[in-house]
Amino acid sequence: MAAKPSLKIKGKGKGTKASSSSSSSKYELVKEWTNWSLKKAKVATQYGFIPLIIVVGMNSDPKPHLFQLLSPV
Amino acid sequence: MADLFPPLATAQVDAKTKVDEKVDYSNLPCPVPYDEVHREAYMSLKAENFEGFRFDFSKGLNQKFSLSHSVMMGPTEVPSQSPDTTIKIPVAHYEFGANYFDPKLMLVGRVMTDGRLNARLKADLSDKLILKANAQLTGEPHMSHSVFNFDYMGKDYRAQLQLGNNALVGATYIQSVTPRLSLGGEVFWAGVPRKSGLGYAARYETDQMVASAQVASTGNVVMNYVQKISEKVSLATDFVYNYFSRDVVASVGYDYILRQSRIRGKVDSNGVTSALLEERLSMGLNFLLSAEIDHKKKDYKFGFGLTVG
Repeated sequence: MAAKPSLKIKGKGKGTKASSSSSSSKYELVKEWTNWSLKKAKVATQYGFIPLIIVVGMNSDPKPHLFQLLSPV
Repeated sequence: MADLFPPLATAQVDAKTKVDEKVDYSNLPCPVPYDEVHREAYMSLKAENFEGFRFDFSKGLNQKFSLSHSVMMGPTEVPSQSPDTTIKIPVAHYEFGANYFDPKLMLVGRVMTDGRLNARLKADLSDKLILKANAQLTGEPHMSHSVFNFDYMGKDYRAQLQLGNNALVGATYIQSVTPRLSLGGEVFWAGVPRKSGLGYAARYETDQMVASAQVASTGNVVMNYVQKISEKVSLATDFVYNYFSRDVVASVGYDYILRQSRIRGKVDSNGVTSALLEERLSMGLNFLLSAEIDHKKKDYKFGFGLTVG
């Protein structure tokens, strides 16, 4: 995950930073999880939205044929 | 011409019926959504002018489901440092789209060859609650945005809650005050440029005209007036003023809806003249001509296109 490596770069300051953030670590974790899930949701939507519309459309009444989907006429 | 001086008898009858038509304040119509307060004015004044060549092919597979293929070739404006010069880069792209229209669910998606997705969703969660979502997703990080709207339609009011990415929260409310007048307000808070705003809108409409105004704490004041001259012709005028940056723009536009064609155009106080002609050549075949001439910036945009299906 892209968010995690950034904490490791802060070499010497890491010790003090860990102690100060332990009280707010739950909030930080929640923020990190929501960021991660939003990123995954964005990728899923970008790849899957048009296929979703096609699947929903091909299953609606009256059911069109696959040939109608691919032919240019 | 005999109508110019109607006999006094009919004038009295007209006045009497007007007094009898008492306003029933418990039965007011539902107002237009807050975003569409200026809808009629923007039909003439904000027509979709384009530059270059455009070809849209729309194929219906059944009543609810259709696919669309769209090719656009032409110069696209790139934001430039100085406001006087416009930089244009010729670009061509193909866009594939799929639409699904159901009484309860509407899905529209458009994807371009460079991976940009434009997605719209409208779902009726219940009789009165509608969820609308709009997203533009790109491959580049931090360049995508999405907005979710929850619309509640009451008897004579509408309320909307808007959530967007980058911590954008907004709410609007519009209420019918009389059968012709509706008033509304909005409040929003944007997280990234940390600012909040407040706005008010008013709309007065009759069968022949619509007048609307909107004031926002961002400094924008918008007032417009649309008059329907006949079934085929309507004229609109618009005045936009920003009291922080002291920008003023006034424009006058027209919209002619004829049997085989529709022509819309406007003239602006910034020296911009534009027009858009949509002509129906035959069933399902439309020809588009667009022109936008900016005399001040010396920017001339002409476009033509064909729409099939």
